[in-house]
Amino acid sequence: MSVTLSRCLCRVFSRQTAPSSFLLGEHHHTVQSPWFAPVMTLKTSAPLRAEPKKKKKVDPRREQMLRERMRKKLKKLEKVPPELIPIEDLITPAKCLDETRERSAPRLSFEESEGRALLLKEWCRYKQEQHFAEVEAVELALEAQREALEELKLESEELYQAALKPDPLLFPFTHKGPAYTPPKTKYEAPDGKYNNITKVYTQ
Amino acid sequence: MAAPCRRMAARSLFHFLSFSRTAGGNSGFRQFSSTSVHRATLQTKSVTEKASSPWTLMAAVCLQRLPVISADCGPIERKFRDMMLQLELEKSLLSDHELRLLEDAERMSRKQADDYDSDEEDERGDQEIVLAQDLEDSWEQKLKSFQPALRVTADADKDLTSLERCLADSLLLVAEQQVGGEKLWLLPQTQWQEGETLRQTAERALASLPAAGFKATFLGNAPCGVYKYKLPKAARTESSVGTKVFFFKAILSDSGPPAAPNAPFLWVKKNELQRYLKPAYVMKVDRFILDL
Repeated sequence: MSVTLSRCLCRVFSRQTAPSSFLLGEHHHTVQSPWFAPVMTLKTSAPLRAEPKKKKKVDPRREQMLRERMRKKLKKLEKVPPELIPIEDLITPAKCLDETRERSAPRLSFEESEGRALLLKEWCRYKQEQHFAEVEAVELALEAQREALEELKLESEELYQAALKPDPLLFPFTHKGPAYTPPKTKYEAPDGKYNNITKVYTQ
Repeated sequence: MAAPCRRMAARSLFHFLSFSRTAGGNSGFRQFSSTSVHRATLQTKSVTEKASSPWTLMAAVCLQRLPVISADCGPIERKFRDMMLQLELEKSLLSDHELRLLEDAERMSRKQADDYDSDEEDERGDQEIVLAQDLEDSWEQKLKSFQPALRVTADADKDLTSLERCLADSLLLVAEQQVGGEKLWLLPQTQWQEGETLRQTAERALASLPAAGFKATFLGNAPCGVYKYKLPKAARTESSVGTKVFFFKAILSDSGPPAAPNAPFLWVKKNELQRYLKPAYVMKVDRFILDL
């Protein structure tokens, strides 16, 4: 009867200690009480297991605290607005403010300054004429095109529709503009080596 | 307007040409007349199921070679440019190179003075040897050793068939084509065929030029101008009253192999157009050719 009792007790205690049940199961016929555990089950008995658990609780807590502190610091740093990239074109370089570089201003005679003023006015008139001529030429060309499209419409509707469609292959269109001298045939240009010293800013 | 018409009538012969391209084509007779401006067509338009309009359609290509070098400055432009350069020089600050020149000049004058003490001079070592003036001279030498191509070659300018003429202006391609009984100078054209857009007709006109491998970029699908003329009353039939020629602009991208000297086309500037094309034709074509 005591054996059966002990067996019941063992079974009860083995249910409580579930992970090591298979071990206990092997030895339950020898175990008399859980408090006199055999050596094999030392590591898995309840009181012994309790100690390493305490260590685990402290360590993760400490690590978590560290991580939270780091995150808070990062957030504080991130809240600061990023430094603006300076626009180098708008900053007058110190070289230009150097007084030793100033040229002595020449004295202009009255005729000279008058001549300059009159030349400026002539130039203004010349450019205005040029501009009007350009505008007129463009208007004429547009008028010619409008007439052409009208005539085409009278001819056939489908050709007219085909003419109105935009041409997707036209753009991007590039054309090298005129230089001062025409290109030389069979000219080998020398290698242009250069050191790129542009400053690249990152935010 | 009347004078050139009379001249044209006197010049032209009454040639009767019948030509039929398609199986169902009509043959027609064309002739010049002095009552209005006419030019004969090469072929007649065949009567199709949807022949609602009595006009023959043709497409022509206005091929331009854009200027290769910048144009010479006019007198006022030259004066203004000189004045601007002078102004900019006066309002500017001294550059590093100029400062160096001044310092070198000063040092030379100090060296040549009687009470010159080289120990007082700041030792700068190698920099003393290379004067800024020497640098300038060496740059001048380098520039002189480079020979750029000539801007203007008088021989090339006179040769109307060469593409290298008048590099500062834009040139137009003008071809001599058989129109009616005559060979006329006009922008290359060809008749429209069923099933193609007018732009394709213009591309075909360019490709069908004899002995010419021109590569061109057509600017858009829309025509830039139109020239229409009615046939003389005697030659008018129900299906063909006249011809409408639609012009398409193109920019020359590659001239290809040089054409044979006897090729029937010329490169002309805008102001030389009147010499080759008929006046009424020139009036219409002038409008969309920009010679700015």
